[in-house]
Amino acid sequence: MSAESTAPFAGANRVLDEDARGARVEYQGVAKNYGEVQALRPTDLTVEPGEFFSLIGPSGSGKTTLLGATAGFNPPSKGHILVDGDDIVGVPPFRRNIGMVFQNYSLFPHMTVAQNIGFPLRMRKLSRAEIGERITRMLGMVRLDKMGERRPSELSGGQQQRVALARAAVYDPRLLLMDEPLSALDKNLREEMQDEIKEFQDALGATVVYVTHDQGEAASMSHRIAIMNQGRIEQIGTPRELYERPGTRFVAGFLGEANIFKVTAREATAGGCRVEVGDGQQFASDASPPDGQTICACIRPETIRIARGDETGDNVATGRIEDITYTAGSVRYRVRIGLNLVMTAREPSERGYTLPALGSDVTLVWRAEDTLLVDDDPS
Amino acid sequence: MTWALYSRLFRIVLLSVAFLALLYLVLPTFVIVPLSFSSTTYLSFPPPGWSVQWYLKLWQTGTYFTAFFNSLKVGIPAALLAVIFGTLASLAIVRGKLRVGHAVSALVIAPLMLPQIILAIGLFPVLSSFGLIGTYAAVVLGHAVVCTPLVFITVSAALRSYDSTFELAAMTLGANWWNSFWHVTFPMIRLGMIVGGIFAFAFSFDEIIIALFLTDAETFTLPKQLYDELRYQMEPTIAAASTFVLTISFLLLASVGIIHRWSDRKVAAGRAARS
Repeated sequence: MSAESTAPFAGANRVLDEDARGARVEYQGVAKNYGEVQALRPTDLTVEPGEFFSLIGPSGSGKTTLLGATAGFNPPSKGHILVDGDDIVGVPPFRRNIGMVFQNYSLFPHMTVAQNIGFPLRMRKLSRAEIGERITRMLGMVRLDKMGERRPSELSGGQQQRVALARAAVYDPRLLLMDEPLSALDKNLREEMQDEIKEFQDALGATVVYVTHDQGEAASMSHRIAIMNQGRIEQIGTPRELYERPGTRFVAGFLGEANIFKVTAREATAGGCRVEVGDGQQFASDASPPDGQTICACIRPETIRIARGDETGDNVATGRIEDITYTAGSVRYRVRIGLNLVMTAREPSERGYTLPALGSDVTLVWRAEDTLLVDDDPS
Repeated sequence: MTWALYSRLFRIVLLSVAFLALLYLVLPTFVIVPLSFSSTTYLSFPPPGWSVQWYLKLWQTGTYFTAFFNSLKVGIPAALLAVIFGTLASLAIVRGKLRVGHAVSALVIAPLMLPQIILAIGLFPVLSSFGLIGTYAAVVLGHAVVCTPLVFITVSAALRSYDSTFELAAMTLGANWWNSFWHVTFPMIRLGMIVGGIFAFAFSFDEIIIALFLTDAETFTLPKQLYDELRYQMEPTIAAASTFVLTISFLLLASVGIIHRWSDRKVAAGRAARS
């Protein structure tokens, strides 16, 4: 299931700026083979002008191949890549006018910060005065005004990252590619830089194609995300769509936490269907039962409640608590509800609430609409 | 015996062995230095007395100067050729991601490992058929073959120490092949090229086997001249000339050391400013 959503930006964290000056990028049947290995299966995708679009997936899923084909490092074996309608597949990287930020920043160590930022302008043979002016403006934009004469090695990781952004944007490219630009930074700085990159993109109005393996990072920055697996796009959608309406088992498991059970039998009911997941457990779902192929039931841990008193719901399962983990703000319970069935529930921690004891029997309840039905992965 | 005493003793023994090994490595080369200041007309060690007469004689003998300039005329172009070939080979193998890279790099290094006498014997008939025997070109070509691996090794080491994304980055920023080499790759491997070039020149400067085969009465190099002199007479002028060659070799070695130190210091300065 890789159908594009009909309303691409419904429920987006970020709202697309209609007047953005960024480029529209269209991938038409783009594929890449390395000998016998198909690194990227024929892929169609359209990235809207000004959109922040993330490609996420495990290593080897094809996300970096797609990015490299866009930058011009590894031409696709088949297909076309259109930037504002022009096919760039045959254009050498240095004439594509695309900005790229690398994982290791790739700042030239023998040049100062200002020389690094001025490099693309020198290559474009701009006048010395204009180069100086643009460097100053960019340095201001990334708040490194007084750092121009430093060497990259004299800057902190976050500062180097900002120089890399400035260098990739100083020639006003309408498309910016970013290859895991934050993966070298520590967690706190990474979150700070996410906001900064968002602001930076808003100021530039450029289209961004962003590659990461960090789903949280992608969700917080992107208009839309494509989840890639084994050389193809599994699903495209806004972060919310992907999380709340995953199409496949892979997507459900990749984005956030999920209890996933293979469905062994299904039966239509008035409000949806009932599915059997083994050990005699039946779950109610409000989805109409899909025909044919194997499906899985997916329940997000935070939609499950530990019942208090005689609280009940569309779905009720009883079991014994095997593990309790307290993390900042929430409590995770692992509850065995059948011989081979373990469910994870997560509740916000409440001050003063007495947690159920380890080994005690509890009842789990959740709504029918929180039992998501997704396609099983092809084995 | 306490552990501290034991480990201290061990350290002393280790240091003395290291010191003796170093002496063994350099001392035989330095025997020539006192011989050149000998007061007698024959080579004997230790010399019975001291004088600088052999340096005066060296100064007055024209052939040594001719030989010295011949060595420069051979060594400088040979080193330049080696820098060009070695750098190109290194770029192709390290950056080009050649599938047969390992085999090619073994081939490039081969002249350094294979017996030079065989290379010389092989070069002789080939160069002779082009009528090049006895010309500077012949020795330059012969030396460039053996010197190229030296540059290849130093430049490859420099290239490997930098991520290849620098060149990719340069290209996305608008630099074509030449500009990305000239502005990005070259500054990063420049030091490797210079050091490799110095090694190449030093190698050519004291190379004898190829020179024996390919030079004549006009183009003889300094080591060839020393060898010829040695066959006719054993007087300390040879020792004086040898000391001169030795001094130049050591100056070249020292320059490499200074270059490395200078670049290390630059890196250290960068780190210090950051912390």
